Amino acid sequence: MTKPLTRPLALLAEVTYRCPLQCPYCSNPIELAQYRRELDTATWVRVFGEAADLGVVQLHLSGGEPLVRRDILELVREASRAGLYTNMSTGATVADDAKLERLREAGLDHLQVSLLDSRPDSNDWLAGAASFDRKRDAVLGAKRLGFPVTLNVVLHRHNLDRIEEVIALAQDWQVDRLELAHTQYTGWAFRNRAALMPTRQQLDHAHAVVERVRAAGTDGLNIQHVLPDYYFEQFPKACLQGWGTVFMGVAPDGFVLPCQTAREIPGLEFPNVADHSLEEIWFNAPVFKRFRGTEWMPEPCRSCDRREIDFGGCRCQAFLMTGDPAATDPVCHLSPDHHLVDEALQEAQQSDPPLHFRVMSR
Amino acid sequence: MKEKRLIRLPVLAMGARYRWDKVRNQHQLVFPEGMIVLNETSTAIVRLCDGRSADDLIATLKDTYPGSEPADDVHEFLRDLADRGVLRDKAVD
Ligand code: SF4
Ligand code: SF4
Repeated sequence: MTKPLTRPLALLAEVTYRCPLQCPYCSNPIELAQYRRELDTATWVRVFGEAADLGVVQLHLSGGEPLVRRDILELVREASRAGLYTNMSTGATVADDAKLERLREAGLDHLQVSLLDSRPDSNDWLAGAASFDRKRDAVLGAKRLGFPVTLNVVLHRHNLDRIEEVIALAQDWQVDRLELAHTQYTGWAFRNRAALMPTRQQLDHAHAVVERVRAAGTDGLNIQHVLPDYYFEQFPKACLQGWGTVFMGVAPDGFVLPCQTAREIPGLEFPNVADHSLEEIWFNAPVFKRFRGTEWMPEPCRSCDRREIDFGGCRCQAFLMTGDPAATDPVCHLSPDHHLVDEALQEAQQSDPPLHFRVMSR
Repeated sequence: MKEKRLIRLPVLAMGARYRWDKVRNQHQLVFPEGMIVLNETSTAIVRLCDGRSADDLIATLKDTYPGSEPADDVHEFLRDLADRGVLRDKAVD
């Protein structure tokens, strides 16, 4: 058997699904209550060591809210001792100055803070909890401590019109990077798709604002803005640069995923870090081979000369829209299912359904 | 086209750091959400972005690699890093 040539560059460690917020586009599984079990400290530390040996460069500590883990400082310390570049994505509602300072000492390299909207009332409504003030305080505190900070704002119908305010806020708070990420319609976001999808006019306006700000100069602020594939692309995004190519994720309960939302695809069996090393999983687990390379592809991808550019798009999106995870991503205009994208857009323009907020209890 | 500016006091941006990858046997510059693989010369440049001036950096490289004229390449590489947001010019901020 030929071994794949690449080793993973990034490991997403979702250390918990617990979170004090309820974002309606959360990428955690809808059936949250089924996944309450969490790996213990020693197992995570072993996983970080295995990741470094396997060639992982960047570790993303995420969740849920990673800061609700009581051992989070130890996890950061051990990850950075293993030689990993350590990022943390946090809602920052439980990040006071003392905690931030200890994270810095433990070796955290980069802090990514989510913000839901530029205005406190709307942020708090979308998050399902009063959180704007704490997020602001955490960002300012992190900057004082010398962290590089990325502000991450997920964009959708209910905040897109304030994109200019969002940028102004990022400049005012002096963050280093602003990630303006349009909602990816998997997880809770797929359930809320018709309620979240912006209109074409909203998107054109947002695009124009970003272009204008960039042209005027952003004064050291690095703005990342990728337009949503539903509206703007003929071809799908190169999801994760291909399945099983650079990325692996470990869920709170130790299951290893080729993509953060792969659990939505039925029929896939995921290996667990309790039973195998990350190296064995990366090279040998059937689920990592399932959509690796181009062998698995149907037409029109199989004979398309973009097959090694976009790898046929996102498997989760293909499954959620067509029921077949091996189908060409319907976003592609060559896909026989492309009409599904047009229908979803129409549905979104014509209706304004309520949002379902993420819930864990049951 | 933008006028070619010279970076005078190059320092790595916050969060950017040099790393030796023992698995791939590779020099890397790692930063939030990204990484650049460095060759021998660019590694030498990155490791000299320690607060000294670009002129000083170029002089040091000349001593290390006698007979070389690295000035143009150094300035181009520094500009490239600055465009990617991983290097700052301390002389301008
Ligand atoms: S998206 Fe929102 S609800 Fe989901 S984990 Fe992140 S902060 Fe919590
Ligand atoms: S047919 Fe497949 S490989 Fe070709 S552009 Fe579309 S999704 Fe990509």
